Amino acid sequence: MTACTAYRRALLSDPRELPEELLAHGRECADCTAFAERAARFEARLEGAMRLNWTHDRAAAAGALPEAAAGSEADVIPLRRDAAGVGVHAAARVPAPAGRSRWFAVAATFALAAATLGLLWIAVPRTSIAGDVVTHMADEPAAWAVTDAAVSAAQLDAVLRDTHMRLEEGAGVVSYASSCEFRGHRVPHLVVQDASGPVTVMVLVHESVRTPVEFDEQHYRGVILPVPAHGSIAVLTRNQLVDQAAIERIAKRVENAIAWTG
Amino acid sequence: MRDPLVLNQKHARFQALCQSLRPDLLRFALWLSRDRAVAEDVVQESLLRAWKARDTLEDEKAAKPWLLTIIRREYARTFERKRLTTVNLDDLVASEEPGLAASDAQELAELRLAIFKLPVEYREPLILQVLMGCSTAEIAEQLNLSTGAVLTRLFRARRQLRVLCGEDTSLDPEE
Repeated sequence: MTACTAYRRALLSDPRELPEELLAHGRECADCTAFAERAARFEARLEGAMRLNWTHDRAAAAGALPEAAAGSEADVIPLRRDAAGVGVHAAARVPAPAGRSRWFAVAATFALAAATLGLLWIAVPRTSIAGDVVTHMADEPAAWAVTDAAVSAAQLDAVLRDTHMRLEEGAGVVSYASSCEFRGHRVPHLVVQDASGPVTVMVLVHESVRTPVEFDEQHYRGVILPVPAHGSIAVLTRNQLVDQAAIERIAKRVENAIAWTG
Repeated sequence: MRDPLVLNQKHARFQALCQSLRPDLLRFALWLSRDRAVAEDVVQESLLRAWKARDTLEDEKAAKPWLLTIIRREYARTFERKRLTTVNLDDLVASEEPGLAASDAQELAELRLAIFKLPVEYREPLILQVLMGCSTAEIAEQLNLSTGAVLTRLFRARRQLRVLCGEDTSLDPEE
């Protein structure tokens, strides 16, 4: 098997775990580099296609959150829909305990309340900005389409207006622009088409970081860059063949293309 | 005797874990079953089984493969209990993602149709790898295959998809 065949076969089998010697071949062979770029674009589309948007699941999931005692069986059991489409607990069949004395019930209530408060303190997730960005991305598969079509200037302006910024041409083709809810604020969510595939940019004027924060979570690799006086920007890709240095270069290019108007 | 507070914390963590994995578990079950209602039932029953057996999960890091195993078994049981109806793939694909722009929807729909058309022995490892982020070794363990067999199936799955989607396959390696 030639090196080219081995490299391409590995790309079509396990593109996320390529051995170093094959990666080295990919960097040296022009044909294989071109093949890898096409394969990476296909891989991005493949993952986007698999991430079905299970929208009506969100309401069910929200409804299945704790509503009684923490840790009860009803908490974790997902909802079934009844004939009217209303979520009901499939296992809402546990009989109420009988024969307990009143004082025990009161004591148990206080103990449970104290335990619940303790649990809330311990169990409330203290998520990172990067984690929240990745979670947001997973819910927007449409944003990862590979395309040459740019959004209209009017649509882009409308998304950027409230952030007091505009995007100069140096950023590249912006194929997606949306104003998204993120940590209680509306933020611009853009997708810039790069040679390596779609790159997502979120402008986070309400979130500050002191130094660049690199992350690699749930197949998303990216960086959060500090933007003095304007919070930060998060730039990420799903293409695992793009290294961190390349992501930072893309992030800097986008940052340089931002013109702040306020 | 186990400390009730520690037990409650463990259960709360387990619950949070299930909630965070649930969307991907639903997607996995749908790609496996090709039926949204079956997928929801399978995941619901699987989470119920997982909750009942929660104390047997010693390492939370092993939760994802553990839940995947439960879902695969539950799906197999569903398959045994009733003969599943034939799925119209075009209708199934058309029912997903109605909110996308036309060109994106077309592209995604073609790819989804191609994925649904893959034989399950190729579709399943591909879903485990691309959607669930499993390594080749993890897929091999799930499917009780050698890593070589998994890599071959993944290679064939991608090749078939590329052909079905009209990709340029002139430079693709042969078997």
